[in-house]
Amino acid sequence: MTLTLTLRAEPQARVDAAPLIPERLRGLNASAVAAVELRCGRETAVVGDLFDISGAGTEEEALVLAGDLRQFDWIGARMSSGEIVVQGDAGSWAGAEMSGGALRIVGGAGARLGAAYPGARVGMTGGEIAVTGDAGEEAGAGMRRGLVAVGGRTGNGAGLRMLAGTVIALGGIGGEAGLGNKRGSLASGRALEPLPSYAYASRFSPPALRLQLLRVRELGLMVTDALLSGSWSRWSGDVTELSRGEILIFDENEEAA
Amino acid sequence: MSGYRLGDTEVDDTFAEAFPMRYARVVITAATDGWALEAARSMTGFATSVIGCKCEASIERALASAETPDGRPGIAVLLFAMDREGVGKRIVERVGQSVMTCPTTACFDGLPGAEKTAALGQTLRYFGDGFQASKVIAGARYWRIPVMEGEFLVSESVGVGNGVGGGNLVIGADDDDIALAAAEAAAEAMRGQGIALPFPGGIVRSGSKVGALTSKSMPASTNHQLAPTLRAQIDDTLVPDGVGALFEIVIDGVSEDAVREAMRRGLHAGASAGATHVTAANFGGKLGQFHFPLSELRDPP
Repeated sequence: MTLTLTLRAEPQARVDAAPLIPERLRGLNASAVAAVELRCGRETAVVGDLFDISGAGTEEEALVLAGDLRQFDWIGARMSSGEIVVQGDAGSWAGAEMSGGALRIVGGAGARLGAAYPGARVGMTGGEIAVTGDAGEEAGAGMRRGLVAVGGRTGNGAGLRMLAGTVIALGGIGGEAGLGNKRGSLASGRALEPLPSYAYASRFSPPALRLQLLRVRELGLMVTDALLSGSWSRWSGDVTELSRGEILIFDENEEAA
Repeated sequence: MSGYRLGDTEVDDTFAEAFPMRYARVVITAATDGWALEAARSMTGFATSVIGCKCEASIERALASAETPDGRPGIAVLLFAMDREGVGKRIVERVGQSVMTCPTTACFDGLPGAEKTAALGQTLRYFGDGFQASKVIAGARYWRIPVMEGEFLVSESVGVGNGVGGGNLVIGADDDDIALAAAEAAAEAMRGQGIALPFPGGIVRSGSKVGALTSKSMPASTNHQLAPTLRAQIDDTLVPDGVGALFEIVIDGVSEDAVREAMRRGLHAGASAGATHVTAANFGGKLGQFHFPLSELRDPP
């Protein structure tokens, strides 16, 4: 049985949920899980105060967090293996500096999804994040490797100072995307006006994106066949960096035609 | 030699002798079945025998869209060589010249998770002249090589497995048309998962022996003992009475079992299709690690 933490009480302040990762909780019994401390505003709370715990003691490297977790930041931050499924909305910095494993959010995510900690240059270095809803600003900021996939839209500034890796938003990437992007890929399922530091290259069916979209479908997002086999416009940038990054924009008009 | 009969077919009491080989499987996908097949045919061309072609390769089977990594129609190709280094060199040459060049294709490792690997995209990427880019997707690395059409996507490396090369059946009949029809039926029955038949249509009409009577430097020469036209000219002919033509089917497989079962299918299909005689080629049993006695293939598949 998978370790499941179901939110029981709304926390009084924002909670740092970074300790709630499978590699840390695996094998702990229920009382040990209940005793794990979480920063809650200026106070310290324990898991048992906030969550109902079931399935403790499992060796399975998986964790389910259920409930409205918009007050919980850093969910899955720095995780390196295993899987977290969030059934509900997550706060900011979900999957920040993650290096492996999978974080699936059945709901929305706040700002800086899969991003770098404040002041850090490098964000996510591996693993996969899939969000069925929308994500906030600066998703994938500082990302070096890995996948951030969003079923809805991302806020402004996705892929800020990205080094490499991929951010996909099926419902569309927000404005000012890919500022300072070196080698990263941003893919937008909806029309988007790229920054002036991006230049139009061509329209094609990107084979690597197709493979990634199939993976995103496996992770539980609704990827239409039109997205899989349609044409995407490639814009290269950021010209202020290497111009080796890309923004891929789905050609919706072709779909209609 | 006393063998056994399958209907009207005489089966010799002998064995096929086979060798350990290394192999890789690549999955070629394309926008259509047709282009995947073009690439696969080109990649497996001139790959009949390690003696002359440095590798043996053949189409393993066609793959439905649902079976391929990118959800497009595909073909699985098996390539065999004597060692991992050989597999690595040949796979880079052939994918580079025959798959990358072919419109709409992508090329994937067909043995994911294998313990040993050989570089593929890791080497081919240099064709991208610095403009190549890589992506890690679901734990596997791929290279995107910009080309005139768009991008060629190729797996960083391919798994290399331990296979068996040189399994064979020799199928004969009094009439050359019947012998060929029987060989065709046998080849058709043998194809499938884990099996490569590297010769044209799976069939070789110029089976060889090791070395030559007239030269010390030739690695191989015609199997004169099985050449029906020489029957009256040599003392040691092995062409059975009443046999006018013989064809050999050479089988490379991913395991001993795959080869044995393919031989079993081929033997019974060939017998049903009119072969009067079935035998197998060996080197006296001293060279090859794997022996496949025809006596073990008596039960139908």
